[in-house]
Amino acid sequence: MRAVRLTASLLLALPLALGASQAGKSTAPESFRANGEITGVAGGVATAMTFQIDKYTSDADHDALVKALKDGGNAAFLAAIKKAPKVGVLTIGKSAIDIRWARTRPEGTDHRRVAFVTDRPAFFAGAGAADAKPTAGYDLAVVEFTIDAVGLGSGTMAPAAKVKAGGPNGVEIDDYSGKRITLTTVTRNVK
Amino acid sequence: MRLLTGRSRRALAAFTAALVVASIPASAGAQSKKKTTGPETFNGKAKVQTGTAVADATFTIQIDQYTPEKDLKAMEAALQSGGSTGFVAALRKAPVAGHLKVGDKSFTIRWARQKDTPKGRVISIVTDSPVYFVGAGLPDAQSKAGFDVAVAQLNMDSAGLGDGSIALAAKVKPGGQNGVEIQDYASEPVKLASIMKVIS
Repeated sequence: MRAVRLTASLLLALPLALGASQAGKSTAPESFRANGEITGVAGGVATAMTFQIDKYTSDADHDALVKALKDGGNAAFLAAIKKAPKVGVLTIGKSAIDIRWARTRPEGTDHRRVAFVTDRPAFFAGAGAADAKPTAGYDLAVVEFTIDAVGLGSGTMAPAAKVKAGGPNGVEIDDYSGKRITLTTVTRNVK
Repeated sequence: MRLLTGRSRRALAAFTAALVVASIPASAGAQSKKKTTGPETFNGKAKVQTGTAVADATFTIQIDQYTPEKDLKAMEAALQSGGSTGFVAALRKAPVAGHLKVGDKSFTIRWARQKDTPKGRVISIVTDSPVYFVGAGLPDAQSKAGFDVAVAQLNMDSAGLGDGSIALAAKVKPGGQNGVEIQDYASEPVKLASIMKVIS
């Protein structure tokens, strides 16, 4: 399984990008609809989901998570994320998964990037294979997407992942499947 | 053949015909009178839709030879005497009948039977290992243990076109009206569509 670096835009970039502070007026609460797909050699899977973000994580809570990761690695981060206040819900079908970390920041003149982490995995892509590897240790899901001023965007999702300290940005996301789900369309729901 | 469990009932219903074909006592009749013998190849697409996702994949079924009646009888006897475990053991000792290929993976077919129908024929196959556990990616997925084979049915017309269904991970048990029951790991049926016999 290769470690997937979710670019400097995720929590990783904590101190660098999203970490500094969330500039501008808060857009929460807000919700999004997303269509995701993942393809392989033989075929593919498509799914729809919604992201409800009630509020974005405060700088103080964010800093606490960053410190936990730096000091204690994935285990400490996982413990910290489960203790963090619930800030939203990821819904896939009948499954609702709590979001415990969510950040957004402007990107360019009319876009912004949104990233969030859930407190448990959404699903294990590829775990249905007869020779699938164990799922233990992949205890959360990570989503990131970019949205424009109109409310349309795209992104990626690691539906089962573990967070590790390391890499050029200080944080790496190890995705269970080794291949992230593409969020082909993300639409901000009109209030 | 009857399909099991409430969760799997819908999926299992799709297999009734396949398993009837598979479960007809060997002595009740030989294979297709037209004797479309192997080798022959079929291409198609497998589709499944659950409450949360839609998935599809292309597949190829290569049948080198249909399983001789004596081997079918041996496997049926093993099922009745040894249950699921006995059936799997007998299946894995049976001669190779062909291969089911999905992507870059190949699965050995050790049971292949065809029966005439008014519009063509029904082909049933069983692989000696599971192909995929649909739904196993969910955090609360059931155990994979005991689902040791895959069972498919192809309904082919005389032109070489057809559809069907497949239990990608299944458990074959004795019981039911026809003496055989198939329990599908998946909660939703996997349909086979756009099946075409490859013209050689």
